[in-house]
Amino acid sequence: MRIRRPEPHTLAGAYALDALDGPDRARFERHAARCQECTREVTGLREATARLATAAAVPPPAALKEALRAETARTRQLPPVTGPRPAAPRPSARRLGVRRLVLALGGAAAVAAVTVWVTASLGPPAGQPSASQEIATVLTAPDSVRLTARVRTGGIATIVMSRHDGMLVFAAAGLRHLPAAQHYELWLIGSGRDRPAGRLPIPSHGMTGPVIASGLRSGDRLGLSVEHAAGTRRPSTPMILELTL
Amino acid sequence: MLARVAVGDQAAFDAMYDRVAAPVFGTVRKVVRDPGLTEEVTQEVFVEVWRAASRFDASKGSPMAWVATIAHRRAVDRVRSEQRSADRDRRAASPMIAYDDVAETVEDNLDRERVRRCLGSLTDLQREAVTLAYYGGYTYRQVAGLLGVPAGTVSTRMRDGLIRLRDCLGAGR
Repeated sequence: MRIRRPEPHTLAGAYALDALDGPDRARFERHAARCQECTREVTGLREATARLATAAAVPPPAALKEALRAETARTRQLPPVTGPRPAAPRPSARRLGVRRLVLALGGAAAVAAVTVWVTASLGPPAGQPSASQEIATVLTAPDSVRLTARVRTGGIATIVMSRHDGMLVFAAAGLRHLPAAQHYELWLIGSGRDRPAGRLPIPSHGMTGPVIASGLRSGDRLGLSVEHAAGTRRPSTPMILELTL
Repeated sequence: MLARVAVGDQAAFDAMYDRVAAPVFGTVRKVVRDPGLTEEVTQEVFVEVWRAASRFDASKGSPMAWVATIAHRRAVDRVRSEQRSADRDRRAASPMIAYDDVAETVEDNLDRERVRRCLGSLTDLQREAVTLAYYGGYTYRQVAGLLGVPAGTVSTRMRDGLIRLRDCLGAGR
């Protein structure tokens, strides 16, 4: 599996969004430990992601606060870090923080607007060849469900599915490299004969897909197999991934 | 306020909770989706805030950003570890905010409009990359796969998008 790695400092945004998984995150943190500019940048970007959090505000159930009180009563607090840095924030900074917190409360109202607006904005492709309308439809469908699964011969598949639209988007990372005469084929496996649901393209930078499969029926499973000839009508090798949808 | 929480001030903790509980709960819910798990993770987040309040450093960002970072990180880590252990994950995938939330919200047109307007100032790919990662909990590699864009492009769009969002919101420096 060969995945090209971006320059560490370009990952500051992905890091601030928690969009790095374990090895990538550790690698960025090692880099940031030596890069003050990166640390400063992440700090600034996290003020922006915090606003995305306030825009998603939903009041928690009241019982949660009570349960929490019992929990904190038996949780020992960490002592302040000793050293030249003052343990308590300066008053001005603290006031500013509190003002932000108060502002954040109002963020609850952003929910409605962002919902309607983001949904509308993702509808048309708007000249963006990367996100076709169909993919956007599935990813933003109110009933969309996400599945992640390991492929038996190596790699991780991500599937986002909308039952209502009868469609799914398939993508995979780190699939085993195949000789030129072979390809990966998706199948919909239901009560009748297995239906071919799309051939995976040649991977690029370790990523394969996206492939859109439509015509999902209730009770279908999704399969992935390695095929030798183009235009195969039925699977000729055992499934290396099989998922109940 | 976090300084008072750090020395075990329960009243300060309650006041802090009242201010940030809705953003924390809403964000965790969007990422983990499952209602029971949302409550569990939210509780873990606030226990962590209580436990580590002395480590908050006002020179490294606002209290809201500190709490939101703990919350979001814990939510995505939980989702990803469940994926690893179960080898398989099924959950609602939409990065959008559910319509049923609308009735629960209070009004503050100013802030709502600002976030909306600022997201609108991003390019389509910047906006999709940022919202899929933050609200959907996807890694940048997954976003790349789902959108059919090279991973390196997604990581730079996430950074550019957040910089634009930050500047537009006037948050941080």
